[in-house]
Amino acid sequence: MVNEKTELWQIIHIPDKPPISPAEQPTVNAFASVIEPKLANTFIRRLNQIAPLENLRHVKRIQKRNDEKGKNQLSVILCLASETENDKQSNNLPENVQELINSYQLSPFITKVCKYAATSREEWEEQCKLWPTSYHPPTYNINGITGFGEEDSQSVFDFMKVAVDLAKSGGGLMVNAAVIVDPSVQQIIATGHDQIYSWHNKTGTENSHLKKPASFASNLNSNGASHLTVFPNNLHNGPERLYVGVSCLSPWQWCGQQLDMETSCYLHPLRHAAIVAIESSAERDRRLFPGLLHTEKSFEVESMQSSCAGSPAKRQKTNLANVEDGKELDAHSEATSVRPYLCTGYDIYLVWEPCTMCAMALVHQRIRRIFYAFPNPNAGALGSVHRLQGEKSLNHHYAVFRVVLPQ
Amino acid sequence: MESQGQGEVCSPETLAYMELAIEQAKHALDCLEVPVGCVMVESGNVIASGRNRTTETRNATRHAEMEAIDVLLEQWQKNGLSVSEVAEIFSKCTLYVTCEPCIMCAAALSILGIKEVYYGCANDKFGGCGSILSLHSSSNQPHNSGEVAQGKGFKCTGGIMASEAVSLLRCFYEQGNPNAPKPHRSVTLQATHN
Ligand SMILES: [Zn+2]
Ligand SMILES: [Zn+2]
Repeated sequence: MVNEKTELWQIIHIPDKPPISPAEQPTVNAFASVIEPKLANTFIRRLNQIAPLENLRHVKRIQKRNDEKGKNQLSVILCLASETENDKQSNNLPENVQELINSYQLSPFITKVCKYAATSREEWEEQCKLWPTSYHPPTYNINGITGFGEEDSQSVFDFMKVAVDLAKSGGGLMVNAAVIVDPSVQQIIATGHDQIYSWHNKTGTENSHLKKPASFASNLNSNGASHLTVFPNNLHNGPERLYVGVSCLSPWQWCGQQLDMETSCYLHPLRHAAIVAIESSAERDRRLFPGLLHTEKSFEVESMQSSCAGSPAKRQKTNLANVEDGKELDAHSEATSVRPYLCTGYDIYLVWEPCTMCAMALVHQRIRRIFYAFPNPNAGALGSVHRLQGEKSLNHHYAVFRVVLPQ
Repeated sequence: MESQGQGEVCSPETLAYMELAIEQAKHALDCLEVPVGCVMVESGNVIASGRNRTTETRNATRHAEMEAIDVLLEQWQKNGLSVSEVAEIFSKCTLYVTCEPCIMCAAALSILGIKEVYYGCANDKFGGCGSILSLHSSSNQPHNSGEVAQGKGFKCTGGIMASEAVSLLRCFYEQGNPNAPKPHRSVTLQATHN
């Protein structure tokens, strides 16, 4: 039996680079000609010798198309043409290509082919409208890039449901919510939702929030009134007003209109769901592994790279060289099997695509995969406004997926 | 590591505030944290300071800027400031930080609507004020009328006492801080560099 729900849900990989339509992709000109299908192999062999497509290995030599009468028609790329070449002006062909044309009575024409290999399936499909290319999906060693099995998909959907429920838990006002998961054991490590107006934690660090989940819920109740004060009319102002409380969607909103709030009690404009969840997971780490700080210098050394600091050129030279990334540490240290470095190997589920602050926080904390349900055209940093997963200079890269919800 | 602004004449006040930020960075170094520090200045007064605490907290987002911001918000919360008062003070704040704010912190500073940032060395890998992204100069238009303008820029000047900032970082990454061999650190220091 196929689960009906599963059919409606969808997981879409958000690549490092935005897909480029063929109209905007760089192309090069090539001479091509229709050929007899039975001669295809002969042509390919000969042309690969005399006019190999050196820097265009993704371009297929042969194009198969149906002609007007619905008959199969094969065309072959003879050789590259200059960008100024006209259709009828094929005098500049290499001698041996010209010989081939003459002996088979070919009539060459100019065609455009995409200059660079496709970086995504969408891009590849677009390229083939011009002239067929080949596409090799990148082989990341990250689970899930090339597709999710049924079981994996189901667990992705289940965790996303947890996040969505959490986002609704504030009452009438939707907020962003985050769920950090250890996928290897299917366990929720930490959760969080926006606390722009419900920050109550005194120090922001230390152990004052040991009982976060419980106190968090009660805090929400006790501060319910302040939510209502800040957004008194949200239910009457149309659906988009319902989302005005989603921190990542309007990060600058906190000081905007409707601020008849008396005091800044509980105000913290940066307490976005992802930041809250990261803090909660760090707190869990300190609570579960209190004594590990000084026995894990290698981890601390690694953590330096994630911090704000710049990188003096020589700093990799000591023992840093072999601690490139958290996964490698896994192999070296038994401790990591129970206590990973930061959020290495963990996934995060967010209801909305995170803003730039949150997306970078997730880079710092070494999240492995990000799943979000709704794009954030105003301020999203995973494809909408910025695309941090494609910023090569960053020292950590997560894979990003959008989970399309049914309905 | 050099950045715009270096070579410019900077005022004695700017240097004095950056000196305080460097002090914070040294404090971080003493605590075996990445030596980045900052101070927040409003109307000529230092109203908060902060330094990196990523190792201690095991929270890689606890950068100096975030620490200082939390100090302020906590204080204002206690003093019963209104939201608009908070917004107003932030709009008068100048941050002095030893290293270019990362993308996360630069985004945070824009969210808060801070007035100005002076930084020491550039942040080649994560910098959000020109190195990787330029969040300080962003000022997107609101998508719907009636919305608050999306993205606030702030004035940003780099290269203030950059060499001091870099040498602290170098100390940290290469061999720890040679100037301050404190007894309580000697054991852990050895562990770091064996
Ligand atoms: Zn956010
Ligand atoms: Zn930062």
